[in-house]
Amino acid sequence: MKNKLYSLFMIAFVAIAVSSCNDDETTPSTNNGPTTYNSGDVELNFENIAGSVFLDPTGATNYVNASGETFSVTNFRYYISNVKLIKEDGSKYEVPNSYFLINANDTNSLLAELTDIPGGKYTGVEYMIGVDSARNVSGAQTGALDPANGMFWSWSSGYIFMKLEGQSSASSNNSFVYHIGGYSGVNRGQRTVSLDFTPSVVIVDGGKREAEIHITTDVLEIFKNPNNISIATQSTIMSVGAASSNIATNYADMFSFDHIHNDPL
Amino acid sequence: MKVNLKYKLLLLLSMVVIVHSCVPDVDPPVTQPLFYQPEGFPATSGQLANNPVTYYGFSLGKKLFYDPILSLDSTISCGSCHQQFAAFAHLDHKLSHGINDLEGTRNAPPLFNLAWHSNFFWDGGSNHIEVQPIAPITNPVEMDESVANVIFKLKRSSYYPAMFKKAFGSDSITTQAMTRALAQFMSSLISANSKYDKVKAGSATFTVDEQNGYMLFKSKCESCHKEPLMTDLSYRNNGLDLHFAADPGRARITLQPSDSGKFKVPSLRNIAVSYPYMHDGRLNSLSKVIDHYRSGVIQSSTIDPLLSGGNMSITDAEKQQLILFLNTLTDPTFLNDKRFSEK
Repeated sequence: MKNKLYSLFMIAFVAIAVSSCNDDETTPSTNNGPTTYNSGDVELNFENIAGSVFLDPTGATNYVNASGETFSVTNFRYYISNVKLIKEDGSKYEVPNSYFLINANDTNSLLAELTDIPGGKYTGVEYMIGVDSARNVSGAQTGALDPANGMFWSWSSGYIFMKLEGQSSASSNNSFVYHIGGYSGVNRGQRTVSLDFTPSVVIVDGGKREAEIHITTDVLEIFKNPNNISIATQSTIMSVGAASSNIATNYADMFSFDHIHNDPL
Repeated sequence: MKVNLKYKLLLLLSMVVIVHSCVPDVDPPVTQPLFYQPEGFPATSGQLANNPVTYYGFSLGKKLFYDPILSLDSTISCGSCHQQFAAFAHLDHKLSHGINDLEGTRNAPPLFNLAWHSNFFWDGGSNHIEVQPIAPITNPVEMDESVANVIFKLKRSSYYPAMFKKAFGSDSITTQAMTRALAQFMSSLISANSKYDKVKAGSATFTVDEQNGYMLFKSKCESCHKEPLMTDLSYRNNGLDLHFAADPGRARITLQPSDSGKFKVPSLRNIAVSYPYMHDGRLNSLSKVIDHYRSGVIQSSTIDPLLSGGNMSITDAEKQQLILFLNTLTDPTFLNDKRFSEK
């Protein structure tokens, strides 16, 4: 008797465990028609890190870059734009007017809310680091692109795509400033990021499921892969050129897909 | 009954008039359009496409243009360095002035016919008339203010929210609305009524000396100072310096060494009233400018091909005729247009 209860308990436990592994899958519909999903919102959640630890953007924590230099971060901001969600069949859904300014010092900015996404299964996301050329040449913009956000060069018009500022004993004035931009030409600063969720799948089914994609942004990558950036050699980059382009090539791979939350509500 | 109705209507009408006259704002004048395409001018840059000039937008832009609230310590307005009597240049000042008596690195250019420009500043660094004002507002040696703080100050003002609502239908004050209002005012600064324009339109005639000066202008100057804007809007090195470390000009923007020492060709309209001249204001009279082309052109690696042959040959008599012609480019209607004045 005791044994039988135990078996039942085990079966129930296994059933629950199996079912919890199936969170990403749809429950087969009772009728035989195709499953339909409601359009809904998707949240991109950016977690800024430095290697294996969360980034402290207050300047109170020291990190070591690929050149062995100690530095801290007081300001870390970047534009994410032109977001595309990749469907299971490989086609892409382009999120209209998707411009986000992620600011490590503003927790509200770490969530990029994509609204009215067509219901269905998605296996990846693509986006641009920076701002497309069109929005750089069309006058004063609003929202995330408002020049009041301090990410706009007025002396040589164009958005600053990424700002990294902080302190470092490697620099002669104990600080470093990297402002990277450039919307056209060979040294342009835009880079495209493509992140694959598989084997995970994000199901967008408005009102029935949450859809939250967690992405990490590793500040250490700005200093390496493929270009080693030394603060001692260059502590200030604030215009478009070969040096800014080198950093842009580095930040192209600072993002990693981490995990998703896709539980039924 | 009929009389009664007439009486009622009259009463109603008079009430409307009384109520209307209590509204402090002046109605849009209908006589002159604020923005128009002067006869013979080329197509505009198109940067007003999403921002058509309206009376209330223009009025807000003018208010902002003359308001020192745009500067950190409320001492400097756009109008401080852009004076109407000098065609909105800074008369007799070599370099732009900022707060705390700070001095900029370039001569404040005159402002007119800006809707025909696609890029702004001596080096063309600003790519849109809407974002141009952000540079002087934020430049530490000009207004030294942040855009966010300007917006904050405008929002807490007792009258700006109402002006923004009239201009753009919403009292939410944004960077875009502010710079669009400024763009409307600046674009309305059209100068196209000089004696030169009247001669072109057939309503005036040049004197013999002016006519001779015009012919000289056509042969010596017009390839860069192209009619009718009196600039081809290009960037050229006119032989001022041998080295460009002090100010690389256009190369600061393009990062191309071949653009070193190149600056935007200025319009010659209103040139007699907008001295001093050149990007750094080094020449304070038209006589000295012509002398530069007669005897001072410095050959350097980026000298303009049109000047690579050396100095121009211009006699003293021709120089006087040229100056007389340049004076016909002064537009008194524009310089005295009350619509553009601070008070």
